[in-house]
Amino acid sequence: MIDTLTQLAQGFAIALTPVNLMWCFIGVFVGTAIGVLPGIGPALAIALLLPLTYKVDATAAFILFAGIYYGAMYGGSTTSILLNTPGESATIVTAMEGNKMAKKGRAGAALATAAIGSFVAGTIGTLGITFIAEPVVNLALKFGPADYFSLMILSFVTVSAVLGSSAVRGLTSLALGIFLGLIGIDLQTGQPRFWFGVTELSDGINVIVVAVGLFAIGETLYLAAQKKSDTPPEVIEIKDSIFMSREDWARSWKPWLRGSALGFPIGAMPAGGAEIPTFLSYFIEKKLSTKPEEFGHGAIEGVAGPEAANNASAAGVLVPMLALGLPTSATAAIMLSAFQSYGITPGPLLFTQQPQLVWGLIASLYIGNVMLLILNLPLIALWVKMLKIPEPLLYGGILMFATIGTYGISQSVVDLILLYIIGGLGFLMRRFDFPTAPVIIGMILGPLAEQNFRQAMTISQGDISVLVTRPLSLSLLLLSALALLGPQIWRLMRGRRVA
Amino acid sequence: MTLEVHKDRPKGVVWEDTAVGLGVLALAALVAWQTSIIPENAIYAKVGPKFFAWISAGLLAIMGAALTYEGVTGGWEHEESGETDWRSLGWLLAGLVLNVALISTLGFIIAGSILFVLTARAFGSTQPLRDAAIGFALALVSYVGFDRLLGYKIGTGLIERLL
Amino acid sequence: MSTRRDVLKTLALTSSAAAIPALWSGAAFAQAPGALQIFVPAAPGGGWDSTARTIEMAMKTDNLAKDFKFEHAPGAGGAVGLPKFLSTKKGAADALMVGGMVMVGSLIANKSPVSMKDLTPIARLTGEANVLVVPAASPIKNIKEWVEAFKKEPGKMSVAGGSAGGTDHILMGMIGRAVGVEPKAVSYVAFAGGGPATAAILGSQVACGTSGVGEFVEHVKSGKMRALAVSGGARVAGVDAPTLKEAGIDVELVNWRGVFGAPGVTPEQQAALVGLVEKMAKGPTWQAELKKKDWTDVYLGGPAFGKYLDAEITRITGILKDLGLAT
Repeated sequence: MIDTLTQLAQGFAIALTPVNLMWCFIGVFVGTAIGVLPGIGPALAIALLLPLTYKVDATAAFILFAGIYYGAMYGGSTTSILLNTPGESATIVTAMEGNKMAKKGRAGAALATAAIGSFVAGTIGTLGITFIAEPVVNLALKFGPADYFSLMILSFVTVSAVLGSSAVRGLTSLALGIFLGLIGIDLQTGQPRFWFGVTELSDGINVIVVAVGLFAIGETLYLAAQKKSDTPPEVIEIKDSIFMSREDWARSWKPWLRGSALGFPIGAMPAGGAEIPTFLSYFIEKKLSTKPEEFGHGAIEGVAGPEAANNASAAGVLVPMLALGLPTSATAAIMLSAFQSYGITPGPLLFTQQPQLVWGLIASLYIGNVMLLILNLPLIALWVKMLKIPEPLLYGGILMFATIGTYGISQSVVDLILLYIIGGLGFLMRRFDFPTAPVIIGMILGPLAEQNFRQAMTISQGDISVLVTRPLSLSLLLLSALALLGPQIWRLMRGRRVA
Repeated sequence: MTLEVHKDRPKGVVWEDTAVGLGVLALAALVAWQTSIIPENAIYAKVGPKFFAWISAGLLAIMGAALTYEGVTGGWEHEESGETDWRSLGWLLAGLVLNVALISTLGFIIAGSILFVLTARAFGSTQPLRDAAIGFALALVSYVGFDRLLGYKIGTGLIERLL
Repeated sequence: MSTRRDVLKTLALTSSAAAIPALWSGAAFAQAPGALQIFVPAAPGGGWDSTARTIEMAMKTDNLAKDFKFEHAPGAGGAVGLPKFLSTKKGAADALMVGGMVMVGSLIANKSPVSMKDLTPIARLTGEANVLVVPAASPIKNIKEWVEAFKKEPGKMSVAGGSAGGTDHILMGMIGRAVGVEPKAVSYVAFAGGGPATAAILGSQVACGTSGVGEFVEHVKSGKMRALAVSGGARVAGVDAPTLKEAGIDVELVNWRGVFGAPGVTPEQQAALVGLVEKMAKGPTWQAELKKKDWTDVYLGGPAFGKYLDAEITRITGILKDLGLAT
């Protein structure tokens, strides 16, 4: 502990030099800008900046990359809330309540709870990296494919929170999402599925393309198709303070903490990822909220929790990367390839061989978090003004940015056509009152559940009982049953007691 | 699972909703057909590539049947589509189609500007010149920022070659 | 960044290359550094991209070429990029595409209508052997014990590796064939990427695993994994394990990467590109980068590389058929 603190202090000494502070600032700035754009995530942004590794020293480069990584997580939530255009797959959930809040004139509060929640969660996550990386990574390694499958089952329960007014339509959306997730070459057997001979489809459809298509393009088509009335369009009013009210604080702080507690360990799991904790957090907040009826219409807990979960998982992802040299996300994999550019082999010995680099990086995570808060809070007033942009220009801009995000790098017209087709689908879904969130949930969880189940079955030689003989898996399945049936059982028991 | 019944709505076939239900059934059939032709060779995979595909086809089929049933028994509540603004939708679709058609030849800046102008038109703007100026400026700035400064390539085109 | 200037340079490069192939030595190039367009059929940040960036860096540092234009066409292990390269760069004497062994398998898996045989082979540059490992806690101590256990109950010997049909899977198929286990019966568990596969091995979720040496070497050194054998022609420094051939398994496989020219370039233009790449590959900067990145130098230039490529395509197609992935 004392040792850790000393090393952390040395890390701060490295990170606080003016040059490294500058890199950190550039990183969070570029990261925020990139996070705003749908389709460009931190992984791609860092990959594009990899040639920098030939020009600057390792510590500076990693401080920059860490800034981009955390910054992109912040930026992604801003467009989710304001424009219903998620920049990252982990901010898709944020769009659900956040955009509804913005439409009710509460964009400021939504942005603030996202920013502060991100700060809180990012800091908690970084504390986790500093002090409990070792036990967390050991726990994470205990998860095998069977346990992951049960975690996915638990996550599927969360779909009940977003089914909307009809179970039939909600589950149709979920089934559609599962189907979309299956498109592409099967990881386990290399067989192409549902690709209709289009090579571009053989890697599967990017979930961000689907999210942007359904949410942003679908919404644009929907609004354009509405008959314009003669009265001028209603301008979104910005209610009372643009910041958070006392009530907002009271309703936000617990979701921040719960979100962090979910996000950090799941982010640290090799197949955990950032999306699952946001789903789980949303579900839990809806269940625990004193005002569950507000969910679906702009509940602040539904922004605070998932945003915190998202940022804590971003920190969690760094745990196996720093502790074991294990890249468990695309971003981590690219950061590791940057290590190699410096001739540093990432691995279990990184902490002992490169203490300056590692502790400098960790210290800059703390600093980057503070910088992001300072950068973002004053900007909220500016961001909110974006909603005052006249509709014609706003939607023109949204479509243009969606184009950049999709068409960039590959310059594939096929991807663009796919985006617009999904946009058309989103339009029809809105027209016929189908919820779109289950599509995303199905698309993310479906393939994960499938691959983990099949991995588990190959390992167990087809013995399905592993799902209940492994303690972790069994506990997760019991938890799923409890989450699904708990409320009913509770009601029954209470009813009996009263009677 | 309980199906909704709307007491205030007339019983009977609602064609639109029925069509949606049949559409989902058709998708289920497509998924089932495509699933049946996935080759299954690898014996090491105890659960092959078809298993989850069948689940997804089955789920879609059940839901399609349920939706069709709802469709022929009064439909479900959603916005009436009688007041569609086809003209606006037309402008917007034209913008999307032109963007796809032109982006690889004329380049992002021109195609993006056209998309911008037509989208603005769809949302009731009556100042195409102003929109063109704003759209062009936005496209130009984005192109320089992303393609030139960051190395996020957005392709080449007429204007792009001059920069 | 003027494209017109690039075009002029390209013209200069092509015409002089065609006119004076004999003089196309590094010295001549150093006086007139030219432009190259590098095509990466993968997303930025991956192995092929990193090869491309290193080529750029080495050529710039050694003053072999000055202007580089990058193009990425990610998707399907190169099956999206290759047709694009073949059609858009036809006859371009300044175009280089990065690719490798993985692409051979991807093209087959994607039932691609195009083939790597349509490319102009320039040079094989780097190669990485695979290593077969078991978790440290495994009762299996060496390759001999592993083979025994594997032959006895192939189903129980679950192997973690990358996606089906990739290098790792191909290697397991070859080993199976060599020791008398049907390739299709190898209990292969595909993971999305090296990270999750490594985690599954470290957590003893699988019986063994295989991946590029670079992916596992640190875990072998720290004692968390035990290396049983490496798949290359020679042992690897820092990994205390024999080659498969030394262990009596007649398999040799390296995951190689190289560069290719566009279709339709003249033999002179091909020779010019080969000369340029050879100059780079023998140069100090490239050599230093190889050391830093732990890449093995397997340079093989021009027509010899073409012959090697043909042999690899035949060999890999055969094993993919045995694995049930190709028809």
